[in-house]
Amino acid sequence: MSLGELIFIFLLFVTFCGALTTVLARSLIYALVGLVTTMFGIAGFYIYLNAPFIAMMQILIYVGAIAILIVFAIMLAGPFYKKPTEWSTVTKFLVSLVIALFTYLLFMRVILHSFMGRGGTLSELTTKDIGRSLFDTLTFPFELVSLLIVVSIIGAIMLALFSKDRK
Amino acid sequence: MTEMPLYNNLYLYLFISLFLLCCGIGGMLFRRTLIGMLICLELIMNGAGLNLVAFNRFLAPSAPYGMVFTLFIMGIAAAEVAIALALIIVIFRRFKDIDAEALKELKE
Repeated sequence: MSLGELIFIFLLFVTFCGALTTVLARSLIYALVGLVTTMFGIAGFYIYLNAPFIAMMQILIYVGAIAILIVFAIMLAGPFYKKPTEWSTVTKFLVSLVIALFTYLLFMRVILHSFMGRGGTLSELTTKDIGRSLFDTLTFPFELVSLLIVVSIIGAIMLALFSKDRK
Repeated sequence: MTEMPLYNNLYLYLFISLFLLCCGIGGMLFRRTLIGMLICLELIMNGAGLNLVAFNRFLAPSAPYGMVFTLFIMGIAAAEVAIALALIIVIFRRFKDIDAEALKELKE
């Protein structure tokens, strides 16, 4: 077994443990730490998939922006409410487990009957190609996404500033 | 037949993202606080991005469209999280609680 496979198995372990922590942790901040761990594992998978630019963007955007944003929300809304009662009831836990397993089996059948898992030749795609397609063929979706982000930022500011505290 | 490395296999990446999807769905149903549900939603989005890059790598390696759409997913996730957190803060101001079961009324 080569070194690459060992590192890949380590990344698998990290991702699975992070995802399970995200779902099952009692406290929200532990769940967030699990989410960050999962994101780092997925960034490693992106490097194995020959996409190092996406891996860097994953760490920058998800860990650097989104996780910090969620930390702010936990700090703003977290300590004041009563002890979080995750682990709601056993019934709810069992029902969500059953639904998750059902989804897993369903999509596993779909995957196993649909695609060929062949290891193709390594592509020569570089960051230059990504940038060229962003400004060449996919310009319109790119501008739409930027418009969406501007609208969402303005909407978030409006919501947070101008909603009256009506008691 | 030459020995393929373990990571050179499309199924493996699809199963990883399927695992993330199932964790996300289970957590969405299981969590009670709104922020916990949002965190589980991020798991689902991560799985979708991994899926797109894996398809790009193995099934269509000539054009970078999968990677570009993963970048779009990241942008959309950032926008969605900003809006959702503003909503959560407004809800917390109004109800003093972010438990999803406390949100029984929409308007008085």
